Amino acid sequence: MAAVAARRWLRFRCKVCLTLTGQRAGPCGQAPNCRDFISCRFYSGSATVPKVERANVTGIEEVVIPRKKTWDKVAVLQALASTVNRDTTAAPYAFQDDPYLIPTSSLESRSFLLAKKSGENAAKYIINSHPKYFQKDIAEPHIPCLMPEYFEPQIEDISEAALRERIKLKKVKASVDMFDQLLQAGTTVSLETSNSLLDLLCYYGDKEPSTDNHFQQSEKSEELEEAAEENNEKPKKANHQFGNLWRPENNAERIFALMPEKNSHSYCTMIRGMVKHRALVQALNLYTELLNNKLHADVYTFNALIEATALSAHEKPEDKWNNILELLKQMAAQKVKPNLQTFNTILKCLRRFHAFGKVPALQTFREMKAIGIEPSLATYHYLIQLFYHHENHSKGSSLIIYDIMNELTGRKFSPRDPDDDMFFQSAMRVCSFLRDLELAYQVHGLLNTGDNWKFIGPDHRRNFYYSKFFSLLCLMEQIDVTLKWYKDLIPSVFFPRSQTLIDLLQALDVANRLEVIPQIWKDSKEYGHTFRSDLKEEILMLMARDQHPPELQVAFANCAADIKSTYESQDGRQAAPEWPANSLNSIAVLFLRAGRTQEAWKMLGLFKKHNKIPGNKLLNEFMDSAKASSSPAQAIEIVKLAGTFSLPICEDLARRVMADFAISQEQKEALGNLTSLTTDSDSDSDTSEGK
Amino acid sequence: MFPRVSAILPLRPLSRFPLCSGGSEAAIVLLGAPHGTVRTKNNVQRNFGTNSVNYSKKDEQSAPTHGISKETESQESVKENTKKDLLDIIKGMKIELSTVNVQTTKPSSRRQRKSVEATIGSLQKTLEDAPKKRTKSVSPELEAAASAVADFLRFDKQTTKSELLRQLQQHEEVSKTQKDGERTKISVSNIISDMKVAKSATGRVSTRPVHQIQFDEGTDSLMGQKTDDLKKSLRKNMLKGKRLNIFYLKTVTEEAPKTETAPSLWDVEFAKQLAMVNEQPLQNGFAEMIQWTKEGKLWEFPIDNEAGFDDDGSEFHEHVFLDKHLKDFPKQGPIRHFMELVTCGLSKNPYLSVKQKIEHIEWFRNYFNEKQDILKESGIRLN
Repeated sequence: MAAVAARRWLRFRCKVCLTLTGQRAGPCGQAPNCRDFISCRFYSGSATVPKVERANVTGIEEVVIPRKKTWDKVAVLQALASTVNRDTTAAPYAFQDDPYLIPTSSLESRSFLLAKKSGENAAKYIINSHPKYFQKDIAEPHIPCLMPEYFEPQIEDISEAALRERIKLKKVKASVDMFDQLLQAGTTVSLETSNSLLDLLCYYGDKEPSTDNHFQQSEKSEELEEAAEENNEKPKKANHQFGNLWRPENNAERIFALMPEKNSHSYCTMIRGMVKHRALVQALNLYTELLNNKLHADVYTFNALIEATALSAHEKPEDKWNNILELLKQMAAQKVKPNLQTFNTILKCLRRFHAFGKVPALQTFREMKAIGIEPSLATYHYLIQLFYHHENHSKGSSLIIYDIMNELTGRKFSPRDPDDDMFFQSAMRVCSFLRDLELAYQVHGLLNTGDNWKFIGPDHRRNFYYSKFFSLLCLMEQIDVTLKWYKDLIPSVFFPRSQTLIDLLQALDVANRLEVIPQIWKDSKEYGHTFRSDLKEEILMLMARDQHPPELQVAFANCAADIKSTYESQDGRQAAPEWPANSLNSIAVLFLRAGRTQEAWKMLGLFKKHNKIPGNKLLNEFMDSAKASSSPAQAIEIVKLAGTFSLPICEDLARRVMADFAISQEQKEALGNLTSLTTDSDSDSDTSEGK
Repeated sequence: MFPRVSAILPLRPLSRFPLCSGGSEAAIVLLGAPHGTVRTKNNVQRNFGTNSVNYSKKDEQSAPTHGISKETESQESVKENTKKDLLDIIKGMKIELSTVNVQTTKPSSRRQRKSVEATIGSLQKTLEDAPKKRTKSVSPELEAAASAVADFLRFDKQTTKSELLRQLQQHEEVSKTQKDGERTKISVSNIISDMKVAKSATGRVSTRPVHQIQFDEGTDSLMGQKTDDLKKSLRKNMLKGKRLNIFYLKTVTEEAPKTETAPSLWDVEFAKQLAMVNEQPLQNGFAEMIQWTKEGKLWEFPIDNEAGFDDDGSEFHEHVFLDKHLKDFPKQGPIRHFMELVTCGLSKNPYLSVKQKIEHIEWFRNYFNEKQDILKESGIRLN
């Protein structure tokens, strides 16, 4: 009995020690979290035990029993997900499918994603347009989101409730009709409902919202935006982006005029709608009207107004900036708190002012920091764009990027502005433009902090970022490190463009590591650059430029044969480009050096066929190989070939043949004919040109 | 991906320039602060010690001109002059020390600290026999002045210190002018590097030499790099400074009376836009399951014993310890015994909510109250 009691006491004691140490190790450690499981069982009868312990041992810090930790419902999944790292040898998870379908180039990956998404959309469309066929509920417990949604209004009669339902379902036209019917029937619509109707009309610019294919839509607008940014186009171009412009006298304006009472929300939503759909002058006028009616605008409206001021045409940057300042002062006077979007809008607009915008932009940035508004990634993106607008001016290029990176390093972000995903791309662009590898690593480090990688943006932006990064690596980094990155990033992160591969080839050339080239060619075939002639020419040129050890020459010749086959198979594709003379030369040289003489001779045939002229160096090499195999016939063949192309080297070659080979009288004569022929034809052509 | 980066990083310094290590920059920063307070003499020396690495070359160039300017000043006041001369001497010592420092190749941070300490030690030594060393490179006038002031140092350390400070500032000016001189160089090298950029696409021939220059370039571009670093560290942080001064922290932070309104269409759509910002293709199957769970397509993965058990957030102990609800029952006797069994059973029942369990106990209380007559007859007391 006593023994049992002692053991129990020991167990308690151990337990206390455990919790104590766990406590010290860290409040989030494993021990405190287990408490709910174990301690209840141990302590349930005698919760006083730890207190007794503590009284005995004075000077021990007080035990703070941690609160029960509540876990997210996906906590286990998150923990599991964090154990899975990127597989550098495989395509990204999103592309894993039937092996035949796994994309191998950026174009394919894009169409893969589009196909997948459109499949989903099609299924959803069918289910939602024929809900009656999809009523069977197979899931137990019930999963509501798998059931069809109802997009058709259910309330048939003419009432305010029906109007509200239509507004909720975003049926623009039906809502307007319902509003008119209500008005005709003499019913007054409440202020709240008419305001939400205005919201709907203003947001969508009095057009039906496009149906549920967000994916394509956003891609499209992004591309346009990108194009606008890259071409440094003026607002004119931006108009295209907002497909529907504000039409004067549209339903929004009509309903706004019909409303018996209007509050500031009505005005604000009208102003925002007008700015969104680029009716800038009307928006500013309406703001004056709002002030005249002794109402106050909210912060979003001010943001819209700032945008309107900056976009308005026919004004100098100075005037626009003063107008913006005026608006800000009004905000301060009306005690409207600015938010992140206020400052981001200002900075976004200041980009258009180019050089003039720099000082105001910095002041704006400092202002937002001073009043405690944490800048988002988009804020920094705008600053970078403003300060590194002209890539050509390297002199006095701003160093602001260093300040920005110093400030950002180690931070984690959450999305706060729709443009947040532009930052990494533009930061990497600056790194590449400044040729600063250190900085590029810093940016890349920031990208890999926490969940920041999610801000890299859609596919094309990720490709842009990594292409720039990798090109910079090729240019500045040691080749071993570059190759490591190459293995790491490609293809599991992005598919290289042909220019990226050319950069890598040049880096290999600089570092004298040409033996990797056949592998690069293999890769580039895989990534869909089989028919990129600039890439192929580069590869061939590098391989053919210098002599190499025999094994390497064999590998090069295999690679050259492979490239040759791509030129030949190109006939299948329409409008096959011609063989460039350089490639023909290089391939022939490579064959010769690897001892594949026959194939090399075939290449000579191709010169004739494609009407290209072999280089002197190549002919000399052919002569060397003929000599090596001591075959005067071949040597004479070469002279003949040179003769048919009327090359000036012909005579030299003939002389070499005479000197180096034991040739018969017949052959000698033939040679003599050849050389005289060439001189004749030369003179012929001369005279013909003379005439 | 990240571990890979860190694995690669240590390799990189090989291709970097050996002289742009952190220690030298720190010294520059100290110099850059125009009125930096240097608290102890030791500290000052330390600055010299590290600083010398950077300025060795410049000092060699500037020392003569410096001496001349000092000479012109010396006519004004002899005493002043002597102090300055001393400082010149100290500067000279620095030159010699620096040559030592430069030879030690790029110490790691810990070694560097050691070497700094060593430098301090040797500096203190050299302070004593400064005049002797000085004879090698300084003009005779200065030398004479120096020997006079070497004694002066012993007595009045305080003034020397302040002089040292002033000298530091002067030194900074000199370095600035030199830097300006070098800026032209930098711009030239910038242009060259740009040429490389423009050509790299077309001509291989041009890229290759540039690469070589970058890796084994001589003193000139080394200086360029150094001043680039200088520029970076001396430069004012552009993100700090004058602001618009329209808004004030107080007005912005103070809480406005919040009127709770339903989010308008604008808010909803903006939130949707934001959600799309960091939408990325899924990284693995678990991430996909997380997304499906969030979309409601997947049943929740159990995270504890209470998965799918929703009881208005009541806690575990409320389910198990039901004794507290037995207060109104007799402390002993058959009813107590019965109720304890009931609570024991209830505490093990996972299918009832806390509320239902309490109701159950409540029901028994009412029941016994109603049956009080019978209980009395059988001699059982309720309360």
